[in-house]
Amino acid sequence: MYIRSLSLAASAFFAVASLGVHAQSPTADIPRLASGKPDFSGIWQTLSEADYDLEPHAGRRDVPPGPGVVEGGTIPYLPEALAQKQRNFAAREKDDPRLRCYILGVPRSVYYPAPFQIFQRDRDLTLVHQFGHQVRTIHTNGTLHPAEKDQIFWLGDSRGHWEGDTLVVDLNDFNDTTWLDRAGNFHSQDLHVVEKWRFVDRDTISYSATLDDPKTFSKPWTINILLNRRRDKNFQLIEDYCFTLRYEKFYPNKEGK
Amino acid sequence: MMRQPPIAASIAALILVAASAGTPRAIAQTQAAPAPAAQPVVDTHWQKTVPVIASGAWNGPRLADGQPDVTGHWSNTIANHSNFTDPQAGPPGEPSAASKLPRNQRAPSRVSDPADGEIPYLPAARKLQEDFAKNFGTPTHAWHIEPLARCAPGGVPKSFMWHGYEIRQYPGVVLLLFDSGTRIIHLDDSPHLAQSIKLWNGDSRGHWEGNTLVVDVKNNNGKALFGRMGDFMSENGTVVERFVFDQDGKRYNYVATFTDPTVYSRSWTATIPARKYTEADTPDGWHYDAMVANLPGKPLLHEKMERICVENNGPSDGGIFDLPPNGPVISR
Repeated sequence: MYIRSLSLAASAFFAVASLGVHAQSPTADIPRLASGKPDFSGIWQTLSEADYDLEPHAGRRDVPPGPGVVEGGTIPYLPEALAQKQRNFAAREKDDPRLRCYILGVPRSVYYPAPFQIFQRDRDLTLVHQFGHQVRTIHTNGTLHPAEKDQIFWLGDSRGHWEGDTLVVDLNDFNDTTWLDRAGNFHSQDLHVVEKWRFVDRDTISYSATLDDPKTFSKPWTINILLNRRRDKNFQLIEDYCFTLRYEKFYPNKEGK
Repeated sequence: MMRQPPIAASIAALILVAASAGTPRAIAQTQAAPAPAAQPVVDTHWQKTVPVIASGAWNGPRLADGQPDVTGHWSNTIANHSNFTDPQAGPPGEPSAASKLPRNQRAPSRVSDPADGEIPYLPAARKLQEDFAKNFGTPTHAWHIEPLARCAPGGVPKSFMWHGYEIRQYPGVVLLLFDSGTRIIHLDDSPHLAQSIKLWNGDSRGHWEGNTLVVDVKNNNGKALFGRMGDFMSENGTVVERFVFDQDGKRYNYVATFTDPTVYSRSWTATIPARKYTEADTPDGWHYDAMVANLPGKPLLHEKMERICVENNGPSDGGIFDLPPNGPVISR
């Protein structure tokens, strides 16, 4: 009897949880701005293994194992691009731009395993990443991508709009310098990304990114991860301008006479 | 990459020049050599005076959480970071045209206390500052290169004397976005980070007193010089900043008191005036490096594109001065 009740309760719980995840109607009990839009303000970090390798992988010397976050399992590379990816993989322990503390790009900055903070107003969201010097503005004020074409930004150009409680962000104007993970997955300057940000509950964001790049991939592909709110007591970002580590030992000057 | 801050672009160009000329000496020469003009050509872009702005009540607009609304683009009004105590005289070894004028025809020292306009260094600290200034134009050691020239964060207070910057405000937070570095000022009573953690921009806790944002900055690493004269504090330095906003919302004075018994003989105060930039201003690529937003049929709207410094993402000085060429920096 006891066991049956528990089982019923559990079924009911999962049914409710499942409804909560999939419902497109306004989600109850999530933070909202005065305007009624979902309020993503806070410090977020993924628990996923996405940055180690977006594709399914066993543990290696350099990364822990991970189930993969790509819908369908693998990234649909064009043949030449796949060869480049394999060269990147072979050289990953010296060529990954992250090792130089370069700006990680999008979507990598979102699932890199370090916290980032979202500051939100009606007109925009500002993403301050702890790693390096990366600040991204997602404009939600109706502005379009810059009229001037072929601009090149490390983080791309982000224009967002709301579809119900989902923030949909369109990005282009990327450079071709960033990688997508530590396994050498990469893209060209023609990358186009569509992100979707949606609360699962007040402390969890469902994040997806669809990547389209006709020079690199045979078709668009999508990743899905969760972002978790950092709730550690008094947690705050600690600046990590690690590119300065090459020269910070020279300062403050204590050797001049 | 295309929209590098001007200094990054100029440094990148100089690196190319230095590389092709085979000389390391050009790296820190971020100022062009003075033109051989017969008459002093004084840059009238800068203002010569510092407005008086009193601390007091705030009667201007407020945000929903009660903060005075000072959101927007701001930049300093008297000079860049070439020279801290004689702001319009030029960097060491490269006197400006204005430096030939009587002292009272240039902007005053940023040191507003003590009255002599000098930072009250202890003797050993003064020697370090003078050593940097003496070697600025002809660096022979790594520490003769200003860290901002390597795209290190400008730190406190230099970030307020470099390019224009943006203030964004949120409930409980004032966010300062610089071209090199970001500061999150927490408006709460949470404790500072452990004092063993030292940071380029320190760790900030602030609160509003009427028209004045008061910020306590600890955890400074003492690595970001105040400018090209080599003025500095150490990792023992603490700063109390007062951002005093004028009621019209168009100006503010940055008034910061520095305390560091290992470097200074007494606490001292710097004053750096700033003004606001809006759509009424023409973007100039320096104080106001904004673009026209793509918003057809709507009123003019400016927006700032991504803030990066190119040397974040490449060799800081071409491998000169003891730096590895461009290999991995971290192993995490």
